[in-house]
Amino acid sequence: MSKQAEVAHLFRHEYGRLVALLVRRFGISHIDTIEDAVQWAMAQALEFWPKEGTPSSPAAWLYKVAFRHLLSEFRTISHRSSLLNKYISVDTDETNSNNEACFTGEMSDSMLRMLFIACSNKNPVESQLVFTLKSLCGFSIREIALRLFITEASVYKRFSRAKKHLKNETFELDMLSNNEMLSRLPSVHHVLYLLFTEGYLSSHTDTAIRQDLCEEAIRLTKLLAESKIGDSPNGCALLALMYFHLAKINTRKNEFGMLLLLEQQDRNEWSQQHISVAMSLLAQSAKGDSISRYHIEAGIAAEHCLSPSFKRTNWKKVVASYQLLNNIAPSAFHLLNLAIATAEWKSAQDGLAILASAEIPAWLECSYHWYAVHADLLYRCEKFTLADKNADLAITAAPTESIKQLLITRLKRSEGVQVSRAILLSCPAPS
Amino acid sequence: MENNTYICILRSNTGDCDKPSPSEMELQYAKYQAWQKKFADNIVDMGNKLGATGGVVRQDSISDGPFIELKEVIGGYMMLSAATLVDAIDVIKASPMVENAGVSIEIREICTP
Repeated sequence: MSKQAEVAHLFRHEYGRLVALLVRRFGISHIDTIEDAVQWAMAQALEFWPKEGTPSSPAAWLYKVAFRHLLSEFRTISHRSSLLNKYISVDTDETNSNNEACFTGEMSDSMLRMLFIACSNKNPVESQLVFTLKSLCGFSIREIALRLFITEASVYKRFSRAKKHLKNETFELDMLSNNEMLSRLPSVHHVLYLLFTEGYLSSHTDTAIRQDLCEEAIRLTKLLAESKIGDSPNGCALLALMYFHLAKINTRKNEFGMLLLLEQQDRNEWSQQHISVAMSLLAQSAKGDSISRYHIEAGIAAEHCLSPSFKRTNWKKVVASYQLLNNIAPSAFHLLNLAIATAEWKSAQDGLAILASAEIPAWLECSYHWYAVHADLLYRCEKFTLADKNADLAITAAPTESIKQLLITRLKRSEGVQVSRAILLSCPAPS
Repeated sequence: MENNTYICILRSNTGDCDKPSPSEMELQYAKYQAWQKKFADNIVDMGNKLGATGGVVRQDSISDGPFIELKEVIGGYMMLSAATLVDAIDVIKASPMVENAGVSIEIREICTP
């Protein structure tokens, strides 16, 4: 992420940092009042900054205004006595927020703490995701609905569920021990991975909207990897994976917004800068004695990013990676990828054989992925009748117009069919 | 030709509108900055926000303010410098302030003898 992007999202990013910091000081039970106070401080900023200029430390300015507003809110609600006595001292002690380095450190720390709090097993993963987007990334309910392709009502429901869960856990929030934090690290990685894939796989027509979820995921993963608690090989591998995919994000569609096959993508357009960041992260992740799905997925992405062309890809290695991936994190989706890579490495028959011998769950069996891969491999085996049937089923099952268009134009005998490669190989796996 | 000075009186609907999201606010702030940069020569004083309460003094009465019977409340003012009223209107028309449906801005020349 460029420096400029960080400045451009000043309000949204400060929102998350301020909410996290104030929640840490006052407790998660006040999250609604806290969110209102931060929102109010930002409205004030919009009022005063154009007249007075942007303050030298926008974060400290917003913090002071939100903090004072919060105190006056607390004065008007009932439990003022205990809270005020406890926190009023902070109000007068503004040296706190004047020490920029310390302030920034505490904010990052609070953000991560919120992330760990949200990622409790008792909180459903979709609520973890919505809570992260709302309270840490500063997206509104409407903006989240737009990005996750769900209704505002269900975003609201998930957010409320997360808040309710968090309020019930109030007593343990400040007492999350290092061990508990460590045990939640996989859940935190998982939600960041989801945040990234939501953006990356999104068929949203607005590239900026897709990319900002990816950038948020990277921002938080980076923050985590740079912290004491999150500095782990798995975290580095996850971040590497994100950078490899980010390097290719702008070549996934043509100028008409059509999805492009991995084979058709202009490899010169891949961001070498991101690839080299990813490579050094991947090297950093190669320590310790465990290997995670992120290591393997990053390895596969590296293989594609470093290969000079589609044809010269080391398919043997890609096949081995998918086998390993399916062993440590079994998913029928990995099997599909394995079949495609095998078809490239050996033959389409071998690819089909993998699918024939696998147990496929119902959700995948009626998805367009499944049909499209079958159609592709069957065409290449010249089993045209069966291939046509699968192609039709794939087109019918396509979830969005752009995927449907891709299938219609590609799933035709005459044009050669590699649609499955585009859909699967160039993507991180949905979970 | 010497420029004229204009006072711009900002009125806004008292009705509560939807709270903007942080992304909307950062977008609006970016627009403000771009607008101020573009019209730096015209903007004499960004003025100030006016408080929500006030008083109105008349020959025979003092009241709490004119707000009760008005749908639109004067919320702030600013000063512009422009050659003509049309130029001043153009500056305001380009500003992010008028993007809000509940806002109107009255522009009046400050007359000097």
